[in-house]
Amino acid sequence: MSSAKYDDDEILGKAYDATLVRRLGGFVIPYWRQLAVATLLMFGGAAVELAPPFLVKQAIDGPIAARDPAGILPIFGLYAAALLAAFGFRYGQTYIMQSVGQQVMVDIRTRIFSHIQRMSLAFFDRNPVGRLITRLTNDVDALNEFITQGTVALLGDLVRLLFVIVTMLLLNWRLALISFIMFPVVMLATGVFQRIMRAVYRRVRQRIARINAFLNEQISGVLVTQLFNREERSRIRFAELSRDYLAAQLESNRTFAIFFPLINFLSVTAMALLLYFGGQIVLADLATLGMMVAFIQYTDQAFQPIRQIAERYNTLQSAMASSERVFRVLDTPAAVVDPEHPRALPLPVRGEITFDNVWFTYSPEATGERPEDSGSLASEHEAHVSAEDDWVLRGISFTIPAGQAVAVVGATGAGKSSLVSLMARFYDIQHGSITLDGIDLRELRQTELRRHVSAVPQDPVCFSGTIASNIRLHDTSISDEQVRRAAEIARAAPFIERLPGGYDYEVRERGSNLSVGQRQLLAFARAIAFNPEVLLILDEATSSVDTETEALIQEALERLIHGRTSIVIAHRLSTIRHVDRILVLHKGRLVEDGSHEELLAKRGYYYRLYQLQFAEQVKSER
Amino acid sequence: MDQLRRIWPFIRRYRWRMTFGLICAMAATAAAATIPQILRYAVDDLNTRGIVLDQLLGYGGLLLLAATIEGVLRYGQRTQMIGASHLIDFDMREALFARLLTLDQGFFNKMHTGDLMTRVTNDLSAVRMFLGPGVSNLAGSTLLIVTAATLMFLTSPLLALVVVLLLPMVAVLFVVIGGRMRAIFRTVQDQFGEISTRAQENFSGIRTIKAYAQEEAEIGVFREANERYRALNLRYVLLSGMLWPIIGLMLGTIGAFVLLIGGRMVATGELTVGELVLFNAYLAQLGWPVIALGWTVDLYQQGSASLLRISEVLQRRPAIATPPGAPADFIVEGEIEFRDVGLRFVYEESKEGRREALAHQHANHTLEEHVPHPGAPEWVLRNISFRVPRGSSLAIVGATGVGKTTLVNLLARVRDPDEGQVLVDGYDVRTLPLDALRRGIGYVPQDTFLFSVPVRENVTFGRPDATEEQIEYALTVSRLSNDVGQFPDGVDTLIGERGVTLSGGQKQRTAIARAVLRDPAILVLDDALSSVDTHTAAEILAGLRELMKGRTSIIIAQRIATVKDADQIIVLHDGAIVECGTHRELLEYGGRYADMYRRELLQAELEEE
Repeated sequence: MSSAKYDDDEILGKAYDATLVRRLGGFVIPYWRQLAVATLLMFGGAAVELAPPFLVKQAIDGPIAARDPAGILPIFGLYAAALLAAFGFRYGQTYIMQSVGQQVMVDIRTRIFSHIQRMSLAFFDRNPVGRLITRLTNDVDALNEFITQGTVALLGDLVRLLFVIVTMLLLNWRLALISFIMFPVVMLATGVFQRIMRAVYRRVRQRIARINAFLNEQISGVLVTQLFNREERSRIRFAELSRDYLAAQLESNRTFAIFFPLINFLSVTAMALLLYFGGQIVLADLATLGMMVAFIQYTDQAFQPIRQIAERYNTLQSAMASSERVFRVLDTPAAVVDPEHPRALPLPVRGEITFDNVWFTYSPEATGERPEDSGSLASEHEAHVSAEDDWVLRGISFTIPAGQAVAVVGATGAGKSSLVSLMARFYDIQHGSITLDGIDLRELRQTELRRHVSAVPQDPVCFSGTIASNIRLHDTSISDEQVRRAAEIARAAPFIERLPGGYDYEVRERGSNLSVGQRQLLAFARAIAFNPEVLLILDEATSSVDTETEALIQEALERLIHGRTSIVIAHRLSTIRHVDRILVLHKGRLVEDGSHEELLAKRGYYYRLYQLQFAEQVKSER
Repeated sequence: MDQLRRIWPFIRRYRWRMTFGLICAMAATAAAATIPQILRYAVDDLNTRGIVLDQLLGYGGLLLLAATIEGVLRYGQRTQMIGASHLIDFDMREALFARLLTLDQGFFNKMHTGDLMTRVTNDLSAVRMFLGPGVSNLAGSTLLIVTAATLMFLTSPLLALVVVLLLPMVAVLFVVIGGRMRAIFRTVQDQFGEISTRAQENFSGIRTIKAYAQEEAEIGVFREANERYRALNLRYVLLSGMLWPIIGLMLGTIGAFVLLIGGRMVATGELTVGELVLFNAYLAQLGWPVIALGWTVDLYQQGSASLLRISEVLQRRPAIATPPGAPADFIVEGEIEFRDVGLRFVYEESKEGRREALAHQHANHTLEEHVPHPGAPEWVLRNISFRVPRGSSLAIVGATGVGKTTLVNLLARVRDPDEGQVLVDGYDVRTLPLDALRRGIGYVPQDTFLFSVPVRENVTFGRPDATEEQIEYALTVSRLSNDVGQFPDGVDTLIGERGVTLSGGQKQRTAIARAVLRDPAILVLDDALSSVDTHTAAEILAGLRELMKGRTSIIIAQRIATVKDADQIIVLHDGAIVECGTHRELLEYGGRYADMYRRELLQAELEEE
């Protein structure tokens, strides 16, 4: 994972893709009024920018030639007005375009985020968080560039160029034609330069990416390098990479060192041409001296848009690549979807759960075959990967009557977590059915289902915000009083009240200022506050919990499962002793089912599992 | 001045190059300054009609000549001055990397990888930007401004005064608006960080979000954060959108005043039209250099802040290094002794413990900040003493986080003890030459770290000169030969994203091959067989036993099967050695070790069902 992060040099494709642009257009259309205003301002700006050289001509040929100092003042006034107007137009256009860009970014970002929110957990298993964040940030930024640089600005360059050309032709076609001689040369020079620079830049980027990847790896693995006395070789390798980068940098520098003086030279050449040929025209009285001075300025004015048009090409190219990635996310269909005509649960919800011959795998497209990206999973299964290992659950059937507390036990990889995830419909099953109060989960709306079936995850998650907001989340219908009561029932209240600010204590990102045990209690309080009919708990015996908190957690857990349908993945002896019934899973099958005592008496699989997982706790209790 | 002292050693090498660039800049300025002068005479001649075609051609030719000379010299200026900055950049990068390689783990645990990366990349390029474009602009702009100003004063002091007074305003505007922009930009960035944090938190906690059906509300919160970002950004745009238009306005205003005052002067005969054109031409030439001066202020600020961060690394001395007076020709024989070793708990150390703990849990875990809760013991381990005679083996068992890894890390001086001594061949390791000490140790760390290079290079990592037979042997001992045979390019297959992704067990076995190939006097296996299946592990152990005859080995393991044949086994618990002896002795003792063994047997039985 180290290298890809830095070596992700964009594979640049087309600078213009009609389909993508049309789809992007969909995001921009709502702001067509602003765009229209910006375009108008752009036209205005391009027009008034033509005034100053013309006014200089007027001054030279008029009052100056006529030796009339007073006559210059009105021209100065116009000149100043034109400058102010140009400032206003340009500022206005930039501001409007940027604000539209910002608004569109908000829209696109929210759209991507909303879309991702609706994806099933399988999507999150597949896509690392970092990649999703990149879509939301870097790629959206590239689209902003497209809107602010690629649309009106590009049009603006064309219009400015056109205006200058037309004005020159109108003022004096002879001088105009002389000026135009240099335009194709500038265009050609810029085009060639852009082409070279694109290649050079790519080399620079690739080589710095290589340095970064190497550096990242070397810093992460510095201990290995040191222990194996490899410092010298690493240094040599780094110097090689660094030298490659240097070469690319020097090449880029050389290219610039040629291009900038070249453009300057071309501009002076245009001046020299005007002086020589234009001078003759002036001498022949076909143009005034002021006109020639004005033309020197117009020629310079035309150079700028010519150069910028070439530069915008790069922006377009990377925007296309980004939009393709963004649309790929937006086009991913949700795997777990609400039915078109959802059924409602009969009220009151009782909480009876039935599994009927449930088969489940995480790679549904290839049942019986290895998952597509099994490479990453290989470490966990290395010793025993066989074709049929893909089924996580194999024909599980059972019924949990309303109000019963059930523990699920089994060795690692037996399918416990999957079983519980399925009850909250985090994934869809491949065969069989799961019903709540007799209704198939797939016939319910997910929000409705999850209002009645809550899962307390294995890794207690906290969000930045207050303690209270961590308990009620965004559900404003849960009052402060209910929050407090939930915390008391979950035995979280004592620690919360000791915190500065109590329920208003600011929890930091991912709950880093709370201990694992405290986070666990908080997660329990959350479950109680939402008061679901069916509760699923992935209990984790955490080693980093002190004995006092451990006792609290046990107590809270007992209170939590009391009086409602609850399914607990048990790691604690106290839990399995307090439930009504135990389901024993082994390699995706339900092997034993009964109460703790019954199962122990049977001296079967559970008996031995008990010896292994819980006997130590029995001993420590003694 | 401090900055200069820090950077001088790097600049020194290229001082002549930079001087040459400066000379080019001076000459280029002179050439550039003649262009408006030529224009002036041409225009005046045209105006008075006292000109013939040949003269016109002459002026045109002169213009082209001046422009050509300027162009060539600017090329020289750029390639020499900015080129030097790239060379300095290269030297500094090399120096930084070399320094990083010598620094100790204490340093790396304190610094985030990302932060170090930033110093070697972004900070370095900020310094380069100042040394290159910054210095080059500074020289070029100052020269041109001074020259042009002088020439303008010679032509018309009044008009020159107008230009010289107004022109600095452009640079000031650039610095002021730029500074303000940076300040606002920081708040914009913070809000942006807020957005990505929100998203990150949401995606990481998606199970909880979904479990409580909070998706819609989360979208609302995200949208709000985005709206706030937009609002802040608009404030930024309000300013940034102004920057270039206002600079254009400022430059234009100077032009307008030149037209007004200069025009009047021409009308009253104090100035010629050509001289007015000359002023206009100088104005056009000076626009960019003045902006560049403002930019240089910016570059200097960023560059000096970055230089400080770079110096922090460059001036850092490694806490663990070969002491002066260490024997030059030391070769490890393999006797080990720990004498009353004590290790204090340090915050950084906890990261290791966590990683260890996490490895046994689910994959999509996120590493979080560890907050050591109050009342945590001050000592990780204390009063640890044992002796491993040359050629014998020692096994260390104990619960996760008890400090096993930290303990063996003392041997190769990954860290030094806070108390007591670690001796190799009777010498305190702190008195030995570091490279010789490490050369004598083959280390298979718990976190297998392989580089994204071919298998061969990973295996020969500690023995670049290994022969084909030696490599073959190491692969056989680590039971990697079969796996390698199935890779597309055999032993030359690239490992990592761009090549094959190894399974956990394959990685560990590669690391074992890497250590074995060193032919070390001491072999350390830190939980190195945890992802290898029982059967293969047994085979590897048997192979190692053969190989390690007459050599010393230390094995840390979770499985009793891995350690039971060791000459000595110690059990760590609560910061101390609680049991010590052979497998048989410890079983008879009936303590923790015996318990562990019993559970392992039960587990094996369950697995077989």
